[in-house]
Amino acid sequence: MSQTSPSQAWARTEVSADGAVLLTIGGAWKSGSALPEVAFRADRVAVRTEGLEDFDSCLPAWLHAHLRSIRSPDLSSLPLRLQSLVRMAETVAVTETANAEAGLLENLGAWGAESGSSWGRALEHIGHTALGFLRAGLGRARVNWNELPLQMQTAGVDALPIVALLGFLTGLIMAYVGLIQLKQVGATVYVANLVALAMAREMGALMTGVIACGRTSTAFASQLGSMNLSQESDALRALGINPVEFLALPRILAVSLMVPLLSVFATFVGVLGGMVVACSGDLSVDQYVTQAVKAVSWKSFVAGFIKSVVFGFIAAWAGCYRGHVARRSALGVGEAATSAAVLGITLIVIADAVFAVIFNLYDI
Amino acid sequence: MAAEAIACEELAVGHGGKAIMSGITFALKPGRILAVVGPSGCGKSTLMRALSGLDDPVSGSSRLLGRDLTSVSTEEREQALRRLGFLFQGSALFSSLTLRENVELPIREFLSPPRREQRQLAEYKLSLVGLADAMDKLPSEISGGMAKRAALARALALDPEVLFLDEPGAGLDPLTAARMDELILRVREAFGTTIVMVSHEVPSILRTADFCVYLDTETGRMEAYAPPRDFLSLGAHPRAYAFFQQNHRN
Repeated sequence: MSQTSPSQAWARTEVSADGAVLLTIGGAWKSGSALPEVAFRADRVAVRTEGLEDFDSCLPAWLHAHLRSIRSPDLSSLPLRLQSLVRMAETVAVTETANAEAGLLENLGAWGAESGSSWGRALEHIGHTALGFLRAGLGRARVNWNELPLQMQTAGVDALPIVALLGFLTGLIMAYVGLIQLKQVGATVYVANLVALAMAREMGALMTGVIACGRTSTAFASQLGSMNLSQESDALRALGINPVEFLALPRILAVSLMVPLLSVFATFVGVLGGMVVACSGDLSVDQYVTQAVKAVSWKSFVAGFIKSVVFGFIAAWAGCYRGHVARRSALGVGEAATSAAVLGITLIVIADAVFAVIFNLYDI
Repeated sequence: MAAEAIACEELAVGHGGKAIMSGITFALKPGRILAVVGPSGCGKSTLMRALSGLDDPVSGSSRLLGRDLTSVSTEEREQALRRLGFLFQGSALFSSLTLRENVELPIREFLSPPRREQRQLAEYKLSLVGLADAMDKLPSEISGGMAKRAALARALALDPEVLFLDEPGAGLDPLTAARMDELILRVREAFGTTIVMVSHEVPSILRTADFCVYLDTETGRMEAYAPPRDFLSLGAHPRAYAFFQQNHRN
């Protein structure tokens, strides 16, 4: 109980002989000012005012919070407007019922089920995509082929500067590291073999795959997630058009075509980066080029090329998949973009490891 | 308090300095509900934005709570906006926040009460609109009707003197729309709030509004300012009458 100055909000409780609590309130109740705190346990509570000066929503909110557990508090002594404000919070019907609070086990189970269904959805999407390509091949799919050139430009041509920069620097760094080690055994000439083979077989494809995840996957996830949000995907479904076929196929095809080309480009630029370092030392340009060409067999080149096709497919598919299953909110679109990049890069690294094992088994 | 909550004279509203609706003149007393009515594209929402001070009118004068918002500083305009509440057509709930956090946001930013009272106020406002059991849900987890009600709770967070509602019943089934109307009337009754609502739902307008502004696309001018019942008979406002007849039948 507190009653300090007439303009400050106050409240006090008294218990009558029959166990009922009388809650008296007074003063000025304004949001942002200090409000009194009272604690009582009773089945019956009557509320009255004494010198109540002015109030805003904080008073009915305070009463609502304190009288919530009382079955039917007696508000009849309150001013009519205050009565109405308190009763309003109790009487508006809730049409939809909310879920009960879940326990730890339930949450764990829900997480397990969600993870399972998430992988299920991913597999389903891969299936739809594969089937879509098959149907497109048979001329039975509705695909927005008009988008193909634009997507090829966005995913391919527009990515040339960043691929060139990163490819050049990767080759340069590899040459530096290689030179330091090879110098110790007097085999600096093999720095060309190291850079060319690594770029053609491994780094060119891996690097362009990761770049595609960073710029193209996230863009696809945002585009398709936003289309989900604005119900454009639903509109396509309503028209009898499969959104996976219509939207995802041109994107996946565009990236699967462009990433291998970018990978070849990155390989050449990387070899060039290595040459700048190697030729600034003991090696001549002729020696470097001869060694580099000798080092990269057709098998290695094709191996890198195949990898880049798969990495391109993975990057594009991850973006389309996360976009299609994005939650319908701004937050959901953001999450879709992030998870597309994470999923794409993870799958690319896993696929690279699988390729390493297969190529080793078949001596490629 | 000003004698008129909203008063405007020969107001013209539009985009980029080009008027799409002009000749808007009316005065609304505090505690009344005004419906802005007219066919799609006539500038209802644009008028609402101009009346509330969110956008500047093309020409004419408009006073809100006794102040001409076109001639005040940015700071004064922001202060004036805090005395208003808005319910946007698409609800515009912040999707990364729960319903409780959506309502708490303006309370925290402008009233800065202690945490406990902040929660009390937010819970009370959500209880007013019947969402006491859904406070910790995200906007993506609730229905369109619930989102509208949550947005109304957020609009009421700071006890606004004027509430602007853009199509409060749009996208709702008739039952939920009727509940929304009831809620609007209760808010007016309990808080004495002046309400401006953009709508083309004639049953809803007849249930809630004290006055109607009818915007006519053919002339590009306000055709009438009158109680909505006046538009149910063929009088001095033939186009408003035709609009009401058409929409009432549907």
